[in-house]
Amino acid sequence: MSLRALLPVFGFVLAYAVLSLLVTNSYYQLMLTLVLVWACFGLSWNLLSGYTGLVSFGHAAFFGLGAYTTALGQIHFDVTPWLMIPVSALVGGLAGLAIGFPTFRLRGHYFALAMLAYPLALLYVFEWLGYQELTLPIKRENPAAYMQFSDHRVYTLLALVLLFAVMAFSLFVERSRFGRALLAIKQNEAAAEAAGIDTLSWKLKAIVVSGAIAGMVGGFYAVVLLVVTPPSVFGMLVSAQALTVTMFGGIGSVWGPVIGAAFLIPVGEILHAELGARFPGIQGVIYGLAIIGVILIAPEGVYWKVRDRLTKRRAVPARTLDAAVATPASTAGPRSRPGPEAPVAMSVRGISKSFGGLKANQDISFDVPEGAILGIIGPNGAGKTTLFNLLNGFIKPDEGEVKVYGEVTTGMKPHRLCALGVGRTFQVMRPFMRMSVAENVVVGAYVATKDDAEAKRFAAEAVARVGLSAVADRLASELTTKELRLMELARALAGRPKLLLLDETLAGLGHGEADEVVAVIRRLAGEAITIVIIEHTMQAMVKLVDHFLVLDHGAVLVDGEPEAVTRDPRVIEAYLGKKWVADAQA
Amino acid sequence: MTTRRIVSAGVFGIGALAALGLAGPAQAQNPAEVKVGLLVPLSGLYARPGQVMKMGAEMAIEHINALGGIKALGGAKLKLVLLDSGDTVEKAKNAAQRMVAQETDLVAASGAYLSSFTLAVTEVTERAELPVLTLSYSDLITDRGFKYVFQTSATAASQARQCLPVMMQVAEKATGQKPKTVAIITDNTGASVASVKPMREGLLKEHGLNLVVDETFTPPLSDATPLVQKVRATRPDLLFFLPTVISDAKLVLEKMNEFGLGQARIPTVSFGIAIAEPEMLRTMSPELLQGVMSCVGSWGSKGHEKLIAELKSKYNEPWMTQNAISTYADMWVIAAALEKSGKADKAAVAEALRTLDLGPSKYYPGGLIKFDDKGRRVDAGLTILQWQNGIPNTVYPPDLAMSEAVWSKK
Repeated sequence: MSLRALLPVFGFVLAYAVLSLLVTNSYYQLMLTLVLVWACFGLSWNLLSGYTGLVSFGHAAFFGLGAYTTALGQIHFDVTPWLMIPVSALVGGLAGLAIGFPTFRLRGHYFALAMLAYPLALLYVFEWLGYQELTLPIKRENPAAYMQFSDHRVYTLLALVLLFAVMAFSLFVERSRFGRALLAIKQNEAAAEAAGIDTLSWKLKAIVVSGAIAGMVGGFYAVVLLVVTPPSVFGMLVSAQALTVTMFGGIGSVWGPVIGAAFLIPVGEILHAELGARFPGIQGVIYGLAIIGVILIAPEGVYWKVRDRLTKRRAVPARTLDAAVATPASTAGPRSRPGPEAPVAMSVRGISKSFGGLKANQDISFDVPEGAILGIIGPNGAGKTTLFNLLNGFIKPDEGEVKVYGEVTTGMKPHRLCALGVGRTFQVMRPFMRMSVAENVVVGAYVATKDDAEAKRFAAEAVARVGLSAVADRLASELTTKELRLMELARALAGRPKLLLLDETLAGLGHGEADEVVAVIRRLAGEAITIVIIEHTMQAMVKLVDHFLVLDHGAVLVDGEPEAVTRDPRVIEAYLGKKWVADAQA
Repeated sequence: MTTRRIVSAGVFGIGALAALGLAGPAQAQNPAEVKVGLLVPLSGLYARPGQVMKMGAEMAIEHINALGGIKALGGAKLKLVLLDSGDTVEKAKNAAQRMVAQETDLVAASGAYLSSFTLAVTEVTERAELPVLTLSYSDLITDRGFKYVFQTSATAASQARQCLPVMMQVAEKATGQKPKTVAIITDNTGASVASVKPMREGLLKEHGLNLVVDETFTPPLSDATPLVQKVRATRPDLLFFLPTVISDAKLVLEKMNEFGLGQARIPTVSFGIAIAEPEMLRTMSPELLQGVMSCVGSWGSKGHEKLIAELKSKYNEPWMTQNAISTYADMWVIAAALEKSGKADKAAVAEALRTLDLGPSKYYPGGLIKFDDKGRRVDAGLTILQWQNGIPNTVYPPDLAMSEAVWSKK
């Protein structure tokens, strides 16, 4: 990460420090400290949930463990918070590992709900342990050694150091392979896995880091508040606080939680201070209404709303998109079909898969020679998707085996298969809309290289190969469907695959558009990439493939050259029904 | 709003006195008004007890000012400064910080109902050297070596120690024999656990009591049957039942009644005021509560009839709970400390509180108006009350008792 990226953070921290030094009122100073505490906690949540999209309702678990670690360390062993706060971070990180390992089996709402349970369970555990009320003992002699300061500005400055570290780390993550892997998981976990990303390992890393930060912040919170009770650190409101500040400020950005905390914490407190004694309870109502109002105006958070406004104002007049896809200089000449002596890239032997009573695939066998284009077609429900998922490791066959370049890959995890040189695209596209084409594609390159600079080069090459170089810097949200399809293709190519599995790449494209994509795929095949493409419709495919595998009712119906297959009465029957066979042959 | 008007009237009065020539050079330095803080939950989950504490404080200030204010300060009137501690530890801490940062002319304060709030608040006030009086029970409050906190109630551990022998006496007097077995049903909130802890750790044994059922539950209860079944199966001579949430109290008492154990057929004793709040009657019939007893830090009792009547007419409170009477008393103690120090200054008031010795207490039960080194009121006693015909009456100590304890003869 360049130092330039840190400049705004540095500027903010400096300005905040100056502000804090000018404030002598201890109450306002406490507000300044608490804003930073909740901003750090929001950042910790953002690191997991903001980047991976796995919403955690239970970050209080890490926060509370951190707070109790620091408090108990001082109470029982007289260890100073200076040492205990790093220990709290360690405890938070370990808790992240312990919680993440079982819980990452769940996705979506189930993950969120499971996370909710952890702090609630811990709350009762700590009550049961008899830790209803803890206070950090006052140190009248040498208070600084125990992080107790009569000048409240010191707390704010300490919190600022913490915030700077967390923000710098978040920025580093955002710009590194780590962050892109997390974003890829957020967009489409299956696609990320297929792009060679070991999703479980990255998610675990994210929750460990996030837990460690939350634990550290919790420890610091105990020092600031001096009193720790289960509801005050494990309560629902604590977990909610992380969500509120981040969602209000902007998810998936380092500035989001900071903006959220800097607005919500003082507003909440001012309302409480000004109205609490006069109209008890009204502060909650106004606070709630304010949040609802802002969320309605800026559903993705203040940061993104403001950013979109600013970029729109600065945006240059839109270029004509038609010119975007330039046909790249063809490097390969007209390709020829691989001969019968060509080595086998992928070999499938007798694979079957049943879901309960439904036999989705039965005893399917075929070979794909190197450099070939194989089309797998069949009517709806023929078992194409199941076969595809068996080939790329998303599901395990009941019987049979798949070999890629001679290596048995049956039951191999998708990201490992990807490392063997098998790339794939998805029927449902989920590009990162706020990222440029080049940034979208680079995720796919990580499997091919450990070096980030090289990954960028691979990505640029892949973008050039599909002919999107002209729009490489444009945001994905500005692209047409065809360009998005090509970008998907580029993402798969960036990992330098030898074998490409394409899932309905032509779906949703018009006639002319499909032809352009077909041309790109043919060119790739000419560059010695073996291609297996699955399609619902036959039309565009006839011009593309060397060989067809037609599935019906989970079994191979026909296996042959395109001309023969299109005339085969069994194929026509499967697609159109018996009565059309005669018409088609006429 | 009433307070504000009365206080401003008071300010006016002092101005008039000064104009009459009473104010000499000494008076010129003294403020015409002395500010006292009340930091209690006025919003959120604990708003109701906070409101009652406010009533007690307002009544006391009115009375003090009506009797001529602080005479040592030339009749200076007291003015109450209200701060809302909210419903979380963080909000309580914020409120305390606001109090010491922005209400710099406070001489003392009272607060903050819940023990954990009081702990957080006093961490702030200790460092700001502002004396705080509290009715909270937690032993920890005065175990931290603090010099600016004064606990007017007997601590939780002390209450348990005091309550048990009294209960034994009451039982023996009523039935002619000493109880031998006890059951405990408690929720796991801080105050309840603190009260039960000394009993489990030897106190029961000391009194020759055998613990036959010991159940801890997490509020809110969904079904009290398993708890009450255990009590029915063992038929203890005494049941200690410590709920904090009214719905839990209702569930258990209803189930006891259903099982034929109600109306103190198994004498039921609680700790704290939760079970004696007026709210209990909103969801429960007085018959269900009949005979249930509770050991509390203080209660509006014999000798407080005028206060109780005033509270009823002014705020429509049917009886005077600890929240009202203790906070009422706190204001008088602060006034006494001001009289003693002769200075409207928090350090002087703190010093006066430490050395105060006004003899027997009038509004807190038992003991003296005097604080020990820890800041605990010397010989602080407790009151035991019992639900009798829809009213929690004080039945102990004898000098405060409004009626005799009713005990079942099973």
